[in-house]
Amino acid sequence: VNIGEYISSGIVESYVLGLADETERKEFEEMCAAHPKVRAARDSFEISLEENAKFGQLQPRANVKSKIFSAIEMDLSTVQSQLSSGNNGGIPPVIRNESGSSSGGANERSSAAVVRMKTYKWQSLIAAAAVVLLVLSTALNFYFFNQYKRYYSEYQSLVTAQTELAAHNQVMETRLLEYEKAVDMMKDPGMAMVKMSATSNNPDPTSATMVFWDTASKDVYLAVSKLPKPATGEQYQLWALVDGKPVDAGVFDMKDGPGMMKMKNIPKAQAFAITLEKRGGSPTPTMEKLYVMGKV
Amino acid sequence: LGKPLGTIATYTEHELVTLLKSRDTRAFSYLYDNYSGSLYTVIAQIIDDIEVANDVLQEVFINIWRKIESYDPMKGRLFTWMLNIARNASIDTVRSKSYQNSQKNLAISDSNETGGAQAEQVNIDNIGFRKVLERLKKEQRVLIDLAYFKGYTHEEIAEIEDIPLGTVKTRIRNALMQLREYLK
Repeated sequence: VNIGEYISSGIVESYVLGLADETERKEFEEMCAAHPKVRAARDSFEISLEENAKFGQLQPRANVKSKIFSAIEMDLSTVQSQLSSGNNGGIPPVIRNESGSSSGGANERSSAAVVRMKTYKWQSLIAAAAVVLLVLSTALNFYFFNQYKRYYSEYQSLVTAQTELAAHNQVMETRLLEYEKAVDMMKDPGMAMVKMSATSNNPDPTSATMVFWDTASKDVYLAVSKLPKPATGEQYQLWALVDGKPVDAGVFDMKDGPGMMKMKNIPKAQAFAITLEKRGGSPTPTMEKLYVMGKV
Repeated sequence: LGKPLGTIATYTEHELVTLLKSRDTRAFSYLYDNYSGSLYTVIAQIIDDIEVANDVLQEVFINIWRKIESYDPMKGRLFTWMLNIARNASIDTVRSKSYQNSQKNLAISDSNETGGAQAEQVNIDNIGFRKVLERLKKEQRVLIDLAYFKGYTHEEIAEIEDIPLGTVKTRIRNALMQLREYLK
């Protein structure tokens, strides 16, 4: 190849101005590397082109430079933040090199760590909230259970008290009825009252009982004021003395209050007496244990 | 125009390239101050719309900053590399659909109102490379315009001008040889 002809073929200008095709460019680059004359011709044309461009220039808008700089400064800050985020992640450069990852890889890893940290934060927050709720719930359960226990026992004692009151009320009612009955009997002009006093057989001389005998219906009521307490297996028995003969008027137990005990109907009697007999009574009175007696 | 010495740093091309590759913003600022006019002139010779030409200049300098690593001094001077980036970006813009549509709209409004958008356009025939082109014969000038400023391949030019491909190649080569003489 004749170098002079090659240089004069227009290839130099064609190459520099970007008009040469792929094959021409490759060939020219090889020629430049091999032949200093070709390289010199290229340099010479490039310089003249550059110098020529300096004359009669147009000027761009004044704000273009600042726009370019804000764009490249964003590029720079992105690069810097990538680098610093890698460092702030606390990953020593040695380890980063060993893992063989690019700066992008380190970045992904640190952002993954951030995600993990966030997840961990959320998980621990939820766990903490759950523990607090559990403790609160347990405490409340304990508190309410104790409250319940207290209220239940209070309720139970109230129920008991109410039952007692009701029972007591019934007792009082019964007792009141008995009093009323007794008062009615005492007010009744047809009622014969027989006061029975202690005999010499009676260990307690203050013993006293009353018999109310309805002269119309012949019903007999007994009111015990005071009698010695009978032993187990013993029971008092009321007798009516009819024409000198004792007639059974029924057995009775001692009880509190003014209770009038209805005894057997006695159509006719001159006196009444009470003996202490074996439980259930006897057909005939035991005279040694005749404790009280009174004439009609 | 004398530059005040000491206040503005000057670099050799080698220094400038080394600094740019190490992301030195001061060197990039120097690059812009020294080359924006030349590159904008080339862009404005291809793109009629001043707004678009300024946008393309911005895009070109951002690309220079981002692609400086790929610049190989063995293949040519820094200015040549930047000039080709500017020329390619301009031709791509002119050929884009959005630019063609906007120019159609401009053409319609121009025909309705005299002045207007035309005032935004600058007479570029008397500056830089264009001025040199003016000295060429008309048949050569048309081909250089199609090849250099419009980016058509020799085959496309042969079709557009309806002349044989060989003739296109010969005429362009002769025109380039003459350009070299004019530039000296």
